[in-house]
Amino acid sequence: MSNRTSKDIELDMEELRTAIQEEYKEVAINPQQGFHFHTGRPLTRILGYHNVWLEGIPETSIESFAGTGNPFSIDAIRQGEQVVDVGCGAGIDSLIAAKMVGPTGKVIGVDMTPAMLAKAMSSAAEAQLSNVEFHEGYAESMPVPSGWADVVISNGVLNLMPDKAATLKEMARVLKPDGRLQIGDILVQKAVPTSAKQKIDLWTG
Amino acid sequence: MAAGFVDFEITWQADVFSDAPQQSSAADFGTVGINFRARKPVDDAEWNTALEALACEISDQPKVE
Repeated sequence: MSNRTSKDIELDMEELRTAIQEEYKEVAINPQQGFHFHTGRPLTRILGYHNVWLEGIPETSIESFAGTGNPFSIDAIRQGEQVVDVGCGAGIDSLIAAKMVGPTGKVIGVDMTPAMLAKAMSSAAEAQLSNVEFHEGYAESMPVPSGWADVVISNGVLNLMPDKAATLKEMARVLKPDGRLQIGDILVQKAVPTSAKQKIDLWTG
Repeated sequence: MAAGFVDFEITWQADVFSDAPQQSSAADFGTVGINFRARKPVDDAEWNTALEALACEISDQPKVE
């Protein structure tokens, strides 16, 4: 077991990553089982996703959607732009972005969960979207060139990072100067005690 | 700003966890879903200007009697 810990709290990073991977592997392979968060088409309605965005997006990506916000409602994603989707999961947001940027644009989705990536890749092929690619990787060290992206999107991922500053710095690295962050995530309105932060099951549930 | 962004703004927030299939710890902490935006500075000059705008003066400490 790795003894690497978050510098702010005593938490085994590899144990946390494993727990998150196992949770979202279930979202990928058993999306109907019900989780402590909403998923799939019901969630797209809660978060205000327009029906037109979902046209042509394969159900295998929609059913495993587990975001917490709506990156596309923040600002338009424009034709020709290059977009990175951090923690892309089963690919719904990456595929929506791919449709928005069109054939002159490009989307890179990054995720650490192989089961999710497999669905994303399958969906991209089914939707015949050739301007999107998916790579396995961590949000803190993405396989994306520096200064590549016009926009970084992410949805329900940053809250799972023990070192949010490091993740945001990595997002900054891959962005062009003047590039945009458009993020869906969560906010707590009551202080979370350190003892709670050290409980891995509270990170995933 | 510590991560290198300017123009941070939360643009939306809402309860996205109520009535989820399984009970969640989200309600214990008043957890809500949010959207936020931010921007990477155009250049070092913009970044330095933003940093300077954050500077604040520390008022004189009151005398202890």
